[in-house]
Amino acid sequence: MCSRSSLEQEFFKKWVPGLQICSSLAKDMSFLERRKAIKLSADVAMATARDGKTCWSRALIANASKQEDKKIIVRTILGSEFERLTKSSIGSVVCEKRVRSKKILRKSCTTIRRVRKIRKSAPNRVLASSIAKRLVKKRTQVMKGLVPGGESMDEFSLLEETLDYIVSLRAQVDVMRRLANTLVLSIP
Amino acid sequence: MNRALPETLHYLEYITGNVMGAPLKLQQQQQSQHSYLNETQFNVFSLPPQATQVQQLQDLINNDSEVRELVNQSMKSDPGLENGWPDFGKYPIPRTGFATTSSLEMDYSISRTCTSPPTVVVAERDSVLTDKMASTIGRERFRKRKADKAQNPKVVVAEDTRDKRIKGDAEEVESEVTEQNNNRETSADKSKENSMVSEVQKPDYIHVRARRGQATDSHSLAERVRREKISERMKYLQDLVPGCNKITGKAGMLDEIINYVQSLQRQVEFLSMKLAALNPRIELNMDNFFAKEMFPAFMGSFPTVGNSSEMGNSAFLQFNPMQQVVTCGLDMAINPPDMALRRTTSTSITITLQQVQPSSHWETDLQSLYNSEFLQGRSAAFPSQPFTGALEANNLKMEM
Repeated sequence: MCSRSSLEQEFFKKWVPGLQICSSLAKDMSFLERRKAIKLSADVAMATARDGKTCWSRALIANASKQEDKKIIVRTILGSEFERLTKSSIGSVVCEKRVRSKKILRKSCTTIRRVRKIRKSAPNRVLASSIAKRLVKKRTQVMKGLVPGGESMDEFSLLEETLDYIVSLRAQVDVMRRLANTLVLSIP
Repeated sequence: MNRALPETLHYLEYITGNVMGAPLKLQQQQQSQHSYLNETQFNVFSLPPQATQVQQLQDLINNDSEVRELVNQSMKSDPGLENGWPDFGKYPIPRTGFATTSSLEMDYSISRTCTSPPTVVVAERDSVLTDKMASTIGRERFRKRKADKAQNPKVVVAEDTRDKRIKGDAEEVESEVTEQNNNRETSADKSKENSMVSEVQKPDYIHVRARRGQATDSHSLAERVRREKISERMKYLQDLVPGCNKITGKAGMLDEIINYVQSLQRQVEFLSMKLAALNPRIELNMDNFFAKEMFPAFMGSFPTVGNSSEMGNSAFLQFNPMQQVVTCGLDMAINPPDMALRRTTSTSITITLQQVQPSSHWETDLQSLYNSEFLQGRSAAFPSQPFTGALEANNLKMEM
């Protein structure tokens, strides 16, 4: 379990300066804005703890650094690695184009395939397997929406990224929960 | 302090109404069947119904550790999970649930707990199953023919004999598939090696029924490798996501994964909301904390004590020099009620009061205490008495 606790420590170390910035900016922000800022700082810290090895972390950082007002938070958390990690934004543009062209291809292919299938095999068989496939496809679509940067991934890497994402989300929740609990108890 | 606690709890309950208030809310409402929520339900059942709110707080803390325990247990099955991307290749081929499309559909028909398919489909699938299997094997045969006619006449002879066999009953077909499955199971090599072996064996052992379903076509080979990779990943995800052990089949698994990720994301949002509500306090603490330049000291202490997630907590303790006393009270709450331990913690409290800047001696003291507590007493139901007593003692000392 040392890898898990080391992940939590890493996340926490990266998160603390972000929290500092949030609290310093907190005077002129409403409650909701503060919440968003804190959440963003936590997410970015988590992604940085992954050190750019995973696709979702890069995508998360790229998305966060696109918005001007949140850039300062991202910058403080990332520190020196800001330039290196935000360069992935170029890659994401390329990925978007690829995704779009993939979608067009897929649509044209599936219509052709569907026509062929209906003609060839008996309707019973098509119903059984195609329903299953359609369900799986729907769910992979939903997952792609959940995992940051998931649109440009094929099924296999999507599963890998989800795995990593779940682990880091769990660590994030753990650390945040503990911080919140200790702060709650420290209210005089 | 005692008066303030219930108020803050009410306030928290007011702003939450969400997943994180689970141990409190679950007693009141019935939650929907998210697998993660089932986990927290389990925590609630293991604790006696609380009377005081102080105890609820303790249970919150307790739930943390229990959830952590559960998570640890689930994580233990994947020792190399975080680091092991390159290691995945070493793991053996997973169960044959995903090995062929036909068996995949078998799994669909067997277990469909979380998804909501039309029941008609299931019935249909059962009747259609044998036909489907015959058709898949027929398709493979077809592909094999294409490849082999270009290469080896002997193999064609083999296929003719196989044709006659396949034209038999559906049961025979089933048994063939299961035999293939068994053979795949028993061999611990990767699929490529299997097919390589089968390629070599074909000219020699035409009569062998084993490894028949494995086509030598490059397309089907690649497909099989891809499918097995995906099933490997699904297996790891199954270990990671709680409550997925009973579900086989891609769609149900994906459903569970989606639910879990969504619930985790919602938790993050909720916790950030909670922290935003506490934000003024964070500001205060941060200023105090960093003003006294404890940060480099605490950064240095991270790698020294190599114990697990409790490190984070001890770091929090160092945050607030003003509120150290209270957090030491937290310390004591987690202790199993023990006179000796209480005495030692009270001594540590006096030490902190005297020294505004905690020395490394105190740090290691507290850390070791913390570690021992977390290791020992997690599951006990803490009586409220020592906790309140400790807090009162703290208050007295603070006033002094």
